[in-house]
Formats: sequence, structure tokens, C-alpha cells
Amino acid sequence: MNTANLLHEARARLLSRRWFFNDCGLGLAGIAASSLLGSEARAVSAASGPLAPKAPHFAAKAKRVVYLFQAGAPSHLELFDPKPELAKRDGTLPPAELLAGYRAAFINPKSALLGPKYKFQKYGASGIELSELLPHTGGIADDICFIRAMRTDAVNHAPAQILMNTGSQQFGRPSFGAWTLYGLGSESSDLPGYVVLTSAKGTSGGASNYGPGFLPTVYGGIPLRSGGDPVLYLSNPKGIDRESQRASLDALNRLNDLSLRAVGDPEIAARIQAYEMAYRLQSSAPELLDLASEPKEVLARYGIADPSQAGFARNCLLARRLLERGVRFVQLFHEAWDQHGNLTKAVKQNCVDTDQASAALVTDLKERGLLDDTIVIWGGEFGRTPMVQGGNDGRDHHNRAFTMWLAGGGLKQGHVHGRTDDFGFNGVEDAVHVHDLHATLLHLLGFDHQKLTFRSQGRDYRLTDVHGNLVKGILA
Amino acid sequence: MTPATIRSSAAARLCLAICGAWLALPLVSVAAEPAPSFTRDIKGILSNRCARCHGPDPTSREGGGEGGLRLDTFEGATADLGGHAAIVPGNPDASELIRRITSADPDLVMPPPEAGDRLSPRQVELLEQWIAAGGRYEPHWSYVPPVRPTVPVVKNAAWPKNEIDRFVLARLEAEGLSPQLEADRATLIRRLALDLTGLPPSPEQVDAFLADQAPDAVERLVDRLLVHDGYGEHMARQWLDLARYADSAGYADDPPRTIWGWRDWVVRAFDANMPFDEFTVRQLAGDLLPEASLDDRVATGFHRNTLTNSEGGTIDEEFRTVAVVDRVNTTMSTWMGTTIACCQCHDHKYDPLSQREFFGIYAILNNTADEDRKDETPVVRIPWEPVDSRRAKIEAEIADIEGHIAPAAKDVIEPPEFRPVRELVTALRKKLESEPPVTVPVLEELAGDKRRVTKLQHRGNWQDLGPEVAEGVPAIFPQPHASESGRIDRLALARWLVDPRNPLTARVVVNRLWERLFGIGIVSTSEEYGSQGELPSHPELLDWLATELVARKWDLKSVQRLIVTSAAYRQTSKAPPELVARDPENRLIGCGPRVRLSAEVIRDQALAAGGLLSRKKGGPSVHPPQPDVGLKAAFGSGIDWKTSEGEDRYRRALYTTWRRSNPYPSMATFDAPSREVCTIRRPRTNTPLQALVTLNDPVYVEAAQALARRMVREGGASAEDRAARGFRLVLSRRPGPAELERLVRLHADSLVGFLADPADAKKMATDPLGPLPADLSVDEPDLAAWTVVANVILNLDETFMCP
Repeated sequence: MNTANLLHEARARLLSRRWFFNDCGLGLAGIAASSLLGSEARAVSAASGPLAPKAPHFAAKAKRVVYLFQAGAPSHLELFDPKPELAKRDGTLPPAELLAGYRAAFINPKSALLGPKYKFQKYGASGIELSELLPHTGGIADDICFIRAMRTDAVNHAPAQILMNTGSQQFGRPSFGAWTLYGLGSESSDLPGYVVLTSAKGTSGGASNYGPGFLPTVYGGIPLRSGGDPVLYLSNPKGIDRESQRASLDALNRLNDLSLRAVGDPEIAARIQAYEMAYRLQSSAPELLDLASEPKEVLARYGIADPSQAGFARNCLLARRLLERGVRFVQLFHEAWDQHGNLTKAVKQNCVDTDQASAALVTDLKERGLLDDTIVIWGGEFGRTPMVQGGNDGRDHHNRAFTMWLAGGGLKQGHVHGRTDDFGFNGVEDAVHVHDLHATLLHLLGFDHQKLTFRSQGRDYRLTDVHGNLVKGILA
Repeated sequence: MTPATIRSSAAARLCLAICGAWLALPLVSVAAEPAPSFTRDIKGILSNRCARCHGPDPTSREGGGEGGLRLDTFEGATADLGGHAAIVPGNPDASELIRRITSADPDLVMPPPEAGDRLSPRQVELLEQWIAAGGRYEPHWSYVPPVRPTVPVVKNAAWPKNEIDRFVLARLEAEGLSPQLEADRATLIRRLALDLTGLPPSPEQVDAFLADQAPDAVERLVDRLLVHDGYGEHMARQWLDLARYADSAGYADDPPRTIWGWRDWVVRAFDANMPFDEFTVRQLAGDLLPEASLDDRVATGFHRNTLTNSEGGTIDEEFRTVAVVDRVNTTMSTWMGTTIACCQCHDHKYDPLSQREFFGIYAILNNTADEDRKDETPVVRIPWEPVDSRRAKIEAEIADIEGHIAPAAKDVIEPPEFRPVRELVTALRKKLESEPPVTVPVLEELAGDKRRVTKLQHRGNWQDLGPEVAEGVPAIFPQPHASESGRIDRLALARWLVDPRNPLTARVVVNRLWERLFGIGIVSTSEEYGSQGELPSHPELLDWLATELVARKWDLKSVQRLIVTSAAYRQTSKAPPELVARDPENRLIGCGPRVRLSAEVIRDQALAAGGLLSRKKGGPSVHPPQPDVGLKAAFGSGIDWKTSEGEDRYRRALYTTWRRSNPYPSMATFDAPSREVCTIRRPRTNTPLQALVTLNDPVYVEAAQALARRMVREGGASAEDRAARGFRLVLSRRPGPAELERLVRLHADSLVGFLADPADAKKMATDPLGPLPADLSVDEPDLAAWTVVANVILNLDETFMCP
């Protein structure tokens, strides 16, 4: 009963009541009826709404996140984790002790080992070894922090993606982005606080990957669509221009204001505000998506040939524009990495599609002074087996070891954390579980992961559930 | 706290006496300070700040002697810890608990510093006073079966219309408050119609009700609404949330699933006012009833709404166990308001429920024949005329042809002219296969050596098994009787849930009915009645209603009738500012409810106001217009669909195809869940994205166009009359002068614009609804301007609220 979120809710309610009855009184009626709510009125409402900016538990290293989710699970063995021993043993059976208690999704665990399909080379002053497929990521190697011994519990896409994004394999929990928005609120009054962009095939776990779970729906991710209206129903009805829509809203505000006076329910004031925000969104979202103002060099840096063409590169640029405009959490989903077969060709193409734009985003944020207080996350839901699947050109799902990389506020730069065995099969040094990653990301955002809670079904839930240890080794 | 004391009615009466003194909401000013109550003052402190390490779960218990220190029982708290005890009844100074919570030493202080703040001075004081008064524990209120309370005496004897009102008024009077006046008739009929049928009343129904001067006009209106054809559909909506009903199987593929036959069963059951005990038994164990009918088997589709994972490489047994776990959780949540999910992995940290007991219920549900198969077997075939008649026709054709040619015999070489005929038969058979009969997935009990042995799963891991666990329910509750099979099977479980000895089910059911109508339950945490849930605002009213439901033989309509005919429900929702400031959530019921409508009702209301809504009931789910997403579920079929034709475009939202990976976008925006898991309570948000839906979604634009045509056709000649007609079609009431003036002005202003731009006028008036009918007396610019007005009416705050 006396938990943090109940207090928080009660306080928000009290605030809005107090604002309504004392500061605002019937003065609101006049404001709402006028054709445009003044910025003052807007500020008042933002300060009392559930999305009002909030201070975290302690001084944060970062205040916004961009998560480049590589769904389908990229092969760490082709991209991030050099394994000369695996190359040497190509075609031989894995050592028996490696497979004790092991469960694969599809393959017979006793399949032969498959040497990495691509060469590795050293990049940057830090000399971090990465695949030849990642020249651009190599170019920013000195800015990023690799976690080489990630591990997770699930071996199938949907449960693993849900776990990576919500801390649980069960549906119904809030996503990391939703927790972030719940904890920090939004700094944009014209755009949603948590925006989702998809390319390639979308996500296996569907909307649960960015959903609010049991948190209020305002904290859920809002997908910006790549075709048609970027936000559902953003366009006016056919035959209605912006001026006519304004005229409708003026009449609507006037009538709602009469109700507010008659009934006295503060929710009516909240609705008037919501309609005004919707109206602003109708112009801010198209402005966001209009890349005409971006210089050619910027488009070229991201590898965008045609700015109207949907795809991962365009989404990376949109992510930067969103972050610039005060959006708290941007999440890209690029599902393309499930190479059970056709590994050599597909993994190369995927790198062509993602390497340049991912690196460009980091550099762009850095140049604009945003990287210092932004967290960039790159990675999938699990890794891939060192054993071959189907012929000689595929790898199965693998949950015991894989690589992710992070960059930005509070993180080490040009650093490799953790180590896997000679086959990239198990973590042997500084393994990081999904829950540990979550605990650490929340820490960077200024939260004690054990204290950022929300009460549902009589229990205080948190992103890390009952798990999670801070990974101090990646903190700057 | 033993089961014996729980069953003792003396203890129950004691609890009720205390419950009566629970008036503990912060809005109450307490004059004299009575001794702390365990339930009201102490339990929350122990549960929230101590139970994690000193609660029922032995694996996380710390301190004390062997087995750790327990503070959730009197025995545990007063146990000898070697010359001292956590609690020494009557002597706070000698109690180690008090020493620890007040200690300045960070190594000794409790709760330990890393577990959060120290207890507040007030909390310490309460614990001291409570121990000084004897440190008495009381059983958790919701585990004590409800006992019929005495209906209180009130000062204002004229106000109450039934017993409910006397409980409500007694509380208001104790607070020094008086109830509000009855809402006006137009408000009442809209409130009642939306609450009981989910559909707005027609202006003619409103007029008839306004003209009805009889003293029992409201009661007779309620009686009409309770037999209204839309009642069952409206009641079903919430049940489908609880049952996590969807038209797809879930997970990555999320392929279509045919289970609408079960949804129609639910609608029929509510329409027929099937008693809730029967409703329960049929859904959980209809197949086990003696001489189970097809309908009884269809009812068991309830628990076949669990997800099926057909992603490649998944192990069926793993996801079968996930489904059984979900059935345990859903059963306990839906009927008993008890969150037991945590017990899959460990003993409950706050309530006396163990992991072993979780698997006792699991064992009851673990012997059905379904096992995460892609084809959803076992299923039963149900009659569905359109498909059946098409099949019958094809079958007749085949029979007819085969009657003319001898069936193909093995050793005879047929003349070549037979070949095309044979090919025709093959084609017909293929056609028959492409139109399979309609089926519903059902529960079917395994028999004999096929039965599964249930073992405890360590940390909820289906591959890490512990000792065998027998079928059973948690020991804290009165125990079930074995069924005809001689076992505690699903039938026994279902009967136990609705056994009057069960302390929770009736409370949970009446509280849900109450919550639907008032927007917040008497227990506000309608998903949790255990230690971590909220205390009821009106405990005696809750118990009175629960016992009344049982006395009325689980007759839901009759209890709903009782609630909606009460003076409490009929109050106006217009509340004086002082009352709103004092009781923002209206927990005291000092005014009538004002609750945002559900996603489904918001849509149905708009279509109904425009006269578009189809009243066709039942059958396959439909595809109303939705924007193309251009995406596929990652590994499954596309999620875009072809819009249904004819009246299927305008069916009630209940019949919209529910794809779990992509719930109908406009309804999701209004807080409809994905239905992957049981949803007890939907949030009610108020967001800009909702504004975009109702302003711009072609579904709502079309409804506005249809409403505009009705305004012109039915409203009369003047702009005022037309605007007023639109207002009444949506809100049931007449607009006030200021409202009317503003709507008429909007029409006039819009008309100027549309006259200047006929192309825009044509779009706004006809796209997507279609060309103007010839009998309409106005042109496109005029109608476009009325469409703008209709769109505004459909976006009023009042439109979204049950008034």
C-alpha cells in the first residue's frame, strides 16, 4: 500500500487536483477555450502529467537511450568474437565436455564445428579485433565497449527477445523502454517519449518487445511506421486541412470546457491537453520524417542513397533526429539475422545493411555532443552455435555466449569486457546475464534497479525481477 | 493462523468487527486514537517491510533459529530465540523487534539499510502500541469466508432504496457527508444502457423513458435492458479478457486459431443468465459432467485459449507445461483474485501458498489431451450453417456423380471417358477439404496409462523435476470434495471454486460487477486479495453482496439489478469540488460514477449513433477496416487483412479478429490488451494517440458521415434542430444553449470553406461511406460541414464517458 508507485500516483493525482483547484481554477476554462494553449499552460500540464520529467534515484550518466535491436540473433563468431582455434578445428566434432547438459534448438549437438566464415582484424588505437565485415564499426572501436560473454536463458526467438527487452520470458511485463519512460518521464511535448522503428522483418515477440506491460499505457513504445502515416491516423480526414482541423478543435475545446465547468472532472482538462498534443504531433511527426533538411554529407555518412527509402539506415538517422528532439528512448528492430543456412552470404549482406549506419549514428551523436549522455545499445537476443547446421553454411541458436556492444554516457571506451572459450561456446570470464545488463543500464540512467518498481497484482515488480548484478567492469 | 481458526465463525465475526472499524483512508480525520488494528495498521508494515526475509517462504527466510525467523505468524514472532523473542506480547521494551527497528547500529538495524528506508517514527509507534496491547495476529480478511453482516442503521432513512444504500450511507454519514441527488433521466438512461448493453439508447427510447412517470420507471428500464439482445455481448467482453481469448495462437508465428465457437457460448451463457456456478463448472470441467453435451464440451474452450508455440525447433512438452502453468494462474486470478504465479518457482513471499501447493493445482490441470500441437487437437466440430450447407452441397454433388458411375474398382480398367469425371470428383474433394467444418479446441481428460504424473519443477524449470505432487488445493482454504471419479479432478476443482465455503470467489465476482459499474472495486486491487492487495473500502458491503450472490444462487443479473437500482448508483456524477478534493477516487461513493468507456464501447457507440452498427450475433470473427502495416509477423503469415464486406464491416467490436501479435490498432490505443495472458483490469488512459483515432481513423470518419446524414434526415430543417439531433443520438441529452450555438457556428464556418472547395466537400461527405443518397435534401458542402460537426460530437469528452 505504501509503495513507491502508489505514492507516485497519488502525488501525481494530488498535483493535478491542486493545480486544477488552486492554481488554475476556472482560469483553465479560458485557456482551453482560446485557440492555442499558451506555452505556460502547457508547461503546467506537463509538470503534472504521468509523462512529466522526473529525477532518477541518483545522478545519472545518461538520460536517453537508443537501442539497435538486431533480431534473429547475429553470429558473434562471424562478427565480434575471433576464434582461431575454431577455425583450426573446422569440420571436427566438439569436445565432449563442451556439450554436457547442452540443449540446442534444432541441431544435433554432436554436429561438427564450423570455422568462422570471415577474417578478423585489429581496429583503432585500442586494437580491438573485429570482423572484416565491420569496417565502419571498426572505425568507432575506440568509442565502444564490447561485452563478449553475454548469456541468456531462452533459445527460441520470441521468448528470448521478450527476455532481452522485458527481463522475463513471460508475456505481460513492461519493456526496458517503458521502465525508462516511467522512471524519467518525457522531455518532448510534441513527440512520444518512446519511439519504435522497424526494418527487415519486424520482431518475433511482437508488440510485447516494446509494450508497457502492466505499466500505464502512456509508457509503451509508439511505433513510427515506415509507410503511410508515421503514427496511426496522423493524417486529417480526407477533405480536411490543418486550418479546418484547428477549427474543429476550437469548437471541441469550447464544448469540453463547458463540461469541465459543469462536471468538475479534471480528466476533462487532461483530455483537452491530449487533443492539443495530438494536434502538435500532426505537424511535428511529418517534420521529423522530412529528411530534406539533412545535408547530403549526412545522408552519405549513414549510407542513405534515397531518403524516402525505408530501412535500417534511414531509421538510424531518424533515431538521431528523435533524440535531438527530446525523445527519451528510441528502439530500432532489425530482424534479419537468423542464419540457420546461407550464413556466408546473408551475414555479409546484413553487415552491408547495418554496419555503416550504426557507426554513423554513434559518430553523429558524438559530434553533436549527445553521445556523452546517451546510451547506444547494439545486439540481438542470443548468439549462434560454433557447430554447423545443415550442410556447411549455417549456425543454430545459442544462448550461452554472444556479443553485444554499448557506447555513450558512463561507459568504458575502446574496451572489451569478458571472454568466451576457444569455441565461443561458453563465457569463461566476466559473463554477463541479461538481468545484469539491465541492472547496469538502469544504473547508468540513475536508477537502483532494485528500487525502480511498480506494483501489480499485489507485488512490486521491477525490470530485473529478483535478479541482476551491476557490471562494474564496463563502467567508465 | 490455522485453518481451524479461519473456519471458526467467532473469528470471522471478530474480523468483521474490526473490518467495520477500517475507515482508514487518509481522507478521514481520526479524533480519538484507538489501539492499532492488526489488519489496518500492522499487517502492511510486516508484509511490506519484513516478509521478504521473515515470511512464509523458508528458502529466503533469515535470522532467528533453525528455519529462520517468521514474522507472519504469532507462533513465529513469539518463538524463543534463546532467551529473547522478536515479539514479547505486552512488552515492547523486551521485544527484539522493537530493539532492531530502532537500533542506530547499521549492522543491527532492521530492515537492513540496503532494503530501503528505516521505518517511520509513526510505524515504530504503531508496532510498539500493538505489542503493548498483546501483539495479536488476525487471519487475513479474505481467507475468512464472508459472514452475512447486519445492515446498518442510517440517519437519513428516506434516501436508501435497498440494502446497498444503507451500507454506503452509513459510511458517508460517519464521514459527515451526504449523497448527491439522483442524476437526471437522460443521464440515467445513457448510463444504464451503456453499462448493461454497451450500446447507447435511441432518442425514442430516451423520450419514452423521460415520459414514464411511474415510480418504478427506472426498475422497468433496467428489466428491459437486462433482457436486451446486446447484454450478453457486453458482459462477454470482460470475460474474454480474463480468458485471454484471441483468434490467433500466439508466439512468433501467431497463426490464426478457430475458437469463436467458445466465444459464442459465453455470449449465450450471459444472455441466458446462466448461474455463475454452472458457468464455472462447465468451462473448467464441462467434459467431465455426466452425459456431457456438445455445448458442455465447447464451454471447456476457456482453457484452450492458452498460447500454442509452433515456431520451428520448439519442444512441445516445454510449451505444454507453459500452458498448464498459465491455466493455474488464470484460474486462481479469475475466480479467487489470487496471484499464485510466483509459486511456480518458490513459496509465496507474502501469503501462505507454497510451491508444492501450486503444483497441486497444476496436477489437477495437467491431464488434458492437448499438448501444444499445431492443429490444436483435441477439437470438437460445431454446427455452423453457412459452412455446413456449403459442405453438404459439395458432398451431395460428389454422391450424385458417384451414383452415376460405378465406384472405381481395383482390377477393372475404366473407359477413358470416365477420367474427367474422376478428376471432377477429386477437385470437389479438394474443395471440401479447403472448407473444413467449424471446430472448437476443447479439454479432454486423459485416461489410464496415458495419464501424466506431476512432479514439482525446481525453480519452475520443466526439465528439473522434484518429488511427485498429488492433486490438491492450498491448505489455507477449506478443502474440496472428490468428484464422481473419486479424485480431486477438474470437476472437483470447479465445484470447489463455487462452493459457498470458498472465501474468495463470491467476493471476487461481486467486486468485479461493482468495478464494472463504479469504475473502481470495493477492493480496488481486483487482481489481488492477498496480503499485498488493498483492503476493501466497504468490507461489510462486500460481504453482504457476496453472501447475497450465493443466496440468489449465483444469479448475476439479479445482483446487477440490485446494484444499478440503488440510490448510490443513481446519484449524479457531478460532484462539488470539495468532495472531489477530499475523495478524488470516489471511494466513499459520495457521487455517481463517471468512467471512461472501454475500447469496444467507444467504437460500437460511434457506429450505433450513425446507424451503421450491425446487430448480427455470433460466428467467425470479422475484419473491419484497419490500416495496412505492410509487415508480417516475423515468421508467420501477414498481419494485414482484407476488409470484410457488407454488414460484417460494422459488427460489434467483440467480433473483431483479435490477433495477439497485432491487436486491432484503434482498440489497443484505447487500452485493449493483447490477450496473451489473463487481464483482470484494463487501465484507462487518456492520450493524444486516442485523439488521433477518433478524429482521423476512417472508421470514425465514416461513423461521423453516417451520423451527419441522420442529423439532416431526422433532425428537421433548421441548423439548430439538426445539431441537437446529433447531440441526442450520441449523448441522449439535449444540448445547452451555449453548446448548441457553438455547434451551429462550426457548421456555418465549415460550410464557407466547403462551398469554396467542392472537391474537399465531396471527400469529407462521402469518403469512405459512399455517395449521398438521393432522398437527402442537402448537397455535399452542407453535408461535409455536418460531418465536421458530427466528428466533434463523437470526440467530446462526455462521449467517451459513461456519465
